[in-house]
Amino acid sequence: MDLKDIKAIIDLMRKNAVSEFELEKQDFKIRLKRTGSSGVIREFDEPLVGTYAPTAGGAASLAAALPSSVSAPAPANESEIKSPMIGTFYLSPSPESAAYVDIGTEVNPETVVCIIEAMKVMNEIKAEARGVVTAILVDNAKPVEFGQPLFKIRPL
Amino acid sequence: MFEKILIANRGEIAVRIIRACKELNIRTVAVYSEADANSMHVQLADEAICIGRPAASESYLRIDRIISAAEIADVDAIHPGYGFLSENAHFADVCESCNIRFIGPSSRAMNALSDKAVSRNLAKKAGVPCPPGSEGIVENETEAQAVAKKIGYPIMIKAVAGGGGRGMRVAHNDISLVKGFHTAKSEAEKCFGNAGVYVEKLIENPHHIEFQILADQKGHVIHLLERDCSVQRRNQKVVEESPSPMLEGKLKRLRDKMGKAAVRIAEAAHYVGAGTVEFIVDNEGNFYFLEVNKRIQVEHPVTEEVTGIDLVRYQIMIAMGEPLRHSQGDIEAKGHAIECRINAEDPFDDFRPSPGRIDMYYQPGGRGVRVDTHAYGGYVVPPHYDSMIGKLITFGRDRREAMDKMSRALGEYMITGIKSNIGFQQAILQDPNFRRGVYSTAFVEQLLSGARRELLEEKS
Repeated sequence: MDLKDIKAIIDLMRKNAVSEFELEKQDFKIRLKRTGSSGVIREFDEPLVGTYAPTAGGAASLAAALPSSVSAPAPANESEIKSPMIGTFYLSPSPESAAYVDIGTEVNPETVVCIIEAMKVMNEIKAEARGVVTAILVDNAKPVEFGQPLFKIRPL
Repeated sequence: MFEKILIANRGEIAVRIIRACKELNIRTVAVYSEADANSMHVQLADEAICIGRPAASESYLRIDRIISAAEIADVDAIHPGYGFLSENAHFADVCESCNIRFIGPSSRAMNALSDKAVSRNLAKKAGVPCPPGSEGIVENETEAQAVAKKIGYPIMIKAVAGGGGRGMRVAHNDISLVKGFHTAKSEAEKCFGNAGVYVEKLIENPHHIEFQILADQKGHVIHLLERDCSVQRRNQKVVEESPSPMLEGKLKRLRDKMGKAAVRIAEAAHYVGAGTVEFIVDNEGNFYFLEVNKRIQVEHPVTEEVTGIDLVRYQIMIAMGEPLRHSQGDIEAKGHAIECRINAEDPFDDFRPSPGRIDMYYQPGGRGVRVDTHAYGGYVVPPHYDSMIGKLITFGRDRREAMDKMSRALGEYMITGIKSNIGFQQAILQDPNFRRGVYSTAFVEQLLSGARRELLEEKS
C-alpha cells in the first residue's frame, strides 16, 4: 500500500461519512480515524489523525512521506502556535517566494511565521514564542478557523 | 437561490434556522465560540467554524470574524437570528457591501425604527396611536410639566436613544417630575451619549400584545395575528400565547384594527422580512404603539402553530427575492398555542442562572407538543450567554386544550444536573387568573409575592 492508496481511502471515508477504517495484512496494519464530532463532516476541523503500525522495514520512509497534516502524538515539551483569526493560511509572502519558516527554523516572538488572509487583507502572524518549528499543521492556501493549531514548536 | 447560508447565532435559534435551511436544501455553516464547541448547532450544520473565545464580544458580536468565516466558507447569505447582531444596521451594511445577503430588513429601515422619536413620528404618520406624550424632545422641566398637565399623571421621562428599560423615570406629580427630569437627562447622556428626553404617559399594568408581520421585497405586507406576551418577569417574557385571551368579546374588534396598524407602520418604514410590531393595551381597550422588533423573535413558534406558516422559511424566501405567497385574507388562526420558555435558572434563588452539565434530559412529546431546543443529556450549559435552553410549545383546538397539554408536558419534562424554571412555569399554568385568561404585565409580580409563593413551592 502506498501513499496514493492511503489518500484514496481517506477521500472515500470523507465522501461516505465513514469515521473509522482498519486494514490488517500480512506485513502491515493501518487504522484511520476521523476526529471531531461523530458522523459530522466539519471541513475546517483538526486534520485527520492516522496511526500507522508498520513492520520494522517500511516505517521510516513512509512516515517521512506522509502529508504534513498527519501528525504523531506531541511530545510533552511541545507547544502550538494557534490561529488568532479566520481566513486562508499561506506559508510564504507570495506564490514565488520561499516559505517564512520550515521544520527546524528557529523563531522568536517577533518572527513572522505565516500569512492569514481575510477579506483581501494579508495579515502577518507572529510566532509570539521562542523555539524551533517541529511541524507545519496546515497545508498552504487552506482555510483556518480561530484557535486552529498552525505550527508545533519546541520551546527554547 | 441560496446555496449556502451562515447562521450568525447559537443555541436553539441556530438549530431552528439550520432546520429551515435543510428543508430548503440549503447548505449550512455554523459559527461558534470555544464555549460552544459541543453545541447542537455545531453538530447539525454541514460546516462549522470557530470564531473566538467564549465572551460574545470576542465571538458572536465580532463582525470581522463572522464576515471572514462567511468568506472562507463562500456563503450566499447570513441569517442573524435574534439578539447579537440581528438588529445591527452596520452589520447589515457590511454584509451587503461584501456581496452577502443579510436576511433581515435594510439598514435604512433599521435606523428609522431604532430612534424612539423617529419611530413615534412614523407611527403617527401611519395613523397609529402612540402613548400620549410630547411632540419630540423636551428641553426643560417647564415644558415637561406642561405636557404632563395636558396628558395627565403618571408620566414617564424617556431617553430618545434609550432601550432595555434604561434612561426612564416615572413621575406621579410635578415635584417628582422636576426631580426626575434632570437625573433622566444625565443618565441618558451617560448610557447612550444622547441627553435628549421626551415625555410619555405611563400606562399602568398594561397588556403586551404584539403582531407578527411579513413583508416581501415587492412591498407586500401582511400580519399574522397577535401574540400576548404579558406574562413577564422584570421585562423578560416568560409565557407567550396566540390568540390573545384579551381580544375576545367587546375587544375582538381590536384585532383587526391593531393588525392593520401594524401593517401600516411596516409599510411606512419600507420594512422587508419578518418583524414584530409591539403594542401596549390598557384595560379599556386603548392600544398604543411601542416599538418594532426588526428580527425573528423567540416566541415565533406560537404564531407558526396557529397559522400553519413557517416564518423562518419565509425569511429565507423573502431574502431570495420571492414574493409573499399569502394574502391577508389567507391568514387565519386555527386553534390555540402557548409557549413556555425553559431557562437554566433557580426560581428559589431569585432566578439566578444555573449553568453546568445536564445529566438526565428527557423532553416531552406527543400530539400538539413541540420543543425547540439545543439541550441534550450530557450538554454543558455555558455561563457566558443567556439562560434559555429551550422552548416548550403546545397547540390545542382551543385555549383550554393548549393549557392542559402544557401542564401535562411540563410534568413530563425531566432535567437533572442543573436547575430549571419548569416548576415556576407549572405554577403559572395552574394559576386561576392565568387559566381564566385575565392577566396583565403585573401578573408574575403578583404570583411571586406573598401567599402565592406556597403554590410555587408546592408545584416544584
